[in-house]
Amino acid sequence: MKTVRKFKPIAASWAPYALITLLIVLITALLIELGLGYDRVNIVLLYLFPVLLSAVYWGIGTSFYAAALCVLAFDFFFVPPFHSFSVDDLRYLFTFFVYMAVAALTATLAARLKQQLRLAKQSEQHTNSLYALSRQMTAISDLRTLLGNVCLQVSETLGGVAVAIYMPDRDEELALTACSEADPAWGRSESETAIAKWVYRQGQMAGRGTGTLRAYPGLYVPLLTEERVYGVLAVIPPAGEAGHKGAFAAENRRLLEAFGGLTATAIARAKLSEEAKLAHLTAESERIRTALLDSVSHELRTPLATVIGSATALIEGELIFSSEDRLELLGTIRDGALRMNRIVTNLLGMVQLESGMLQLRKRWCDIEDMLGVVLAKVKEYKEHRGIRVRLPERIPLFEGDEVLLEQALVNVVSNAIKYSPDHSDIEIAVNEAGAAIVITVTDAGIGVAENEREKVFEKFYRGSRTGHVPGTGLGLAICKGIVEAHGGTITAEPASSGQGTTIRMVLPAGERRDGLERTVEEEVSER
Amino acid sequence: MTKAKTADGARILIIDDEPQIRKLLKVTLQAHQFDIHEAEAGEAGIYQASIVHPDLIVLDLGLPDISGMDVLRRIREWSSVPVIVLTAKEREEDKIAALDGGADDYVTKPFGMGELLARIRVALRHVASSAQEPILRFGPLVLDLAQRIVELDGSRVKLTPTEYDLLKTLAANAGKVMTQRQLLQQVWGGHHHESDSHYLRIYIGHLRKKLEEDPTRPRFIETEPGIGYRFRSQD
Repeated sequence: MKTVRKFKPIAASWAPYALITLLIVLITALLIELGLGYDRVNIVLLYLFPVLLSAVYWGIGTSFYAAALCVLAFDFFFVPPFHSFSVDDLRYLFTFFVYMAVAALTATLAARLKQQLRLAKQSEQHTNSLYALSRQMTAISDLRTLLGNVCLQVSETLGGVAVAIYMPDRDEELALTACSEADPAWGRSESETAIAKWVYRQGQMAGRGTGTLRAYPGLYVPLLTEERVYGVLAVIPPAGEAGHKGAFAAENRRLLEAFGGLTATAIARAKLSEEAKLAHLTAESERIRTALLDSVSHELRTPLATVIGSATALIEGELIFSSEDRLELLGTIRDGALRMNRIVTNLLGMVQLESGMLQLRKRWCDIEDMLGVVLAKVKEYKEHRGIRVRLPERIPLFEGDEVLLEQALVNVVSNAIKYSPDHSDIEIAVNEAGAAIVITVTDAGIGVAENEREKVFEKFYRGSRTGHVPGTGLGLAICKGIVEAHGGTITAEPASSGQGTTIRMVLPAGERRDGLERTVEEEVSER
Repeated sequence: MTKAKTADGARILIIDDEPQIRKLLKVTLQAHQFDIHEAEAGEAGIYQASIVHPDLIVLDLGLPDISGMDVLRRIREWSSVPVIVLTAKEREEDKIAALDGGADDYVTKPFGMGELLARIRVALRHVASSAQEPILRFGPLVLDLAQRIVELDGSRVKLTPTEYDLLKTLAANAGKVMTQRQLLQQVWGGHHHESDSHYLRIYIGHLRKKLEEDPTRPRFIETEPGIGYRFRSQD
């Protein structure tokens, strides 16, 4: 309906009348041309045609005009005495009356039909936009996006009106939360906020066409569910066209009310889901805190005890120890401190992963280079285990955060060392599989039970078979966090030899690697 | 390689705000015959550096008054004394910034005393041997800078020009960490940026293939994860 309004300039309003006049002149000319062989009844019926036409297409005014013109033409040309408006037979006056009545009836009927069609179309459009909005609302969980969408939808449906949504802020003070782009300046002034506050408190509509502030150009609708008012939706017609009564006609007010209800429900849903998330988070952090406390109290206190014990022994019994004893005690202190450092590093790493502070700094990585660093780091505590590395002839560079990936690899390899017997072998193999780099670390340890293969990557989880080995249960959880941040996967499976575990890390290799190899080959072939 | 001036008696300035660390450093470094001076804040450290003329500075990055990076910058305005950064910061950016800003090396807290001593010795020796020798020897590896010849176990190693330049730059700074940026700028020229680090990786890979018996257990070129490379000085 908005288009009809828009594209009806004043100049065009006479066009139907001109068309109808032309049509009647044509019919009259045709009838005169064909002679008077026709019965007058037929002529009257033919004259009904323009009346019906204008009733269907242009409404009541035009059809009455057509009817009058037809009666005049009929009287002038076909009712004796011809070429005069006087009537011989008074019965013709009765015909004219019936004719006018028929014209009036059909015109009213047609116009009403048209009106109903228009209403039906409009209501279909409204239903559609309500449906669209409700569908969006179920899809969006973020409140801000949701309100932005509501503004957009309302503005589109009502022909570009400016929309503003007010919601209470943290101090329960009503404030502008979202507004449409049509007129961002609107809705910010004090009087507008004051009306919004009134509507929020009363839970009633205000503004144009309502009981309150009837003359005000804007319209304020409370966002209301059965239980409470969540905010206020305000609309104002586009600037400069304030005269559009249509924008806030009764149907549109009802539509706005429906929008308001829908929005309120969506806000309620978003708030509830937020609360549920918070509750879940609280429960989860409670669980982590307990696990952390257990872990810290046991894992950190053990090395602390050895450090404090050895140090106090050295201080207090300065003279009773032989130099070997002293060295041994000092070694214990160092090992204890190193172990504590590892635990603290892992805890810090976990905190970073958890809090989303972890940011990947992606660079081109060379797996060979990386393994060199990993092997150097684990060298001190691998004791008598052999570490074999199997690398293919050539492996492309891949994109990743080398420091984090190294940390992940160190964790996996130290785990392999920790859970495999002395004098056994650990194998690190690298392969290329499509667009991914696959790194496997296989040990000959006791392996992971089938039902624990996923759980070992959980925070603070300790395997049932390996509970006696000291550890925090953080190493593999951190690995998983790092690998997944790279878009890769990490899995635990039994070693193909039947004994031990294989940890398999699959990392996406990135895009540019083919080009990279080529540039280098060119340089090398220079000489 | 001719043995440099002995490290014994060298004057070391420690700029650190934690008394525990200062005490630890003082006791152990004095036991190794170093002459120790201390400063507990940045400004005081700069002042000390200007009056005691240390042979080496151990600098903490987190200081109470001005940042360690500022101290480094201001000392570098008038002195080329070797600076070893001692930091509890784990982020690579901080270490890289310090190295690019003129520090010679870095050690992270918690640290092993042996490691710190080794770094101090390397830095002191590096200053002493700054007059460039035409022939560099690292165990079985010999670089003849005058003739651009590299020999490993007595037989010649063929290197491309870029590989040779890279090796030369690393070997000339043996024992010192070279950041990726420093290497890129010195080997490929100033127009290269850190995003070109893949060149570096590929050439390091080539060098290792030609020089190392097992590239995953390198004898010569060590990787400093996230920061750069270090040519191991053989001692």
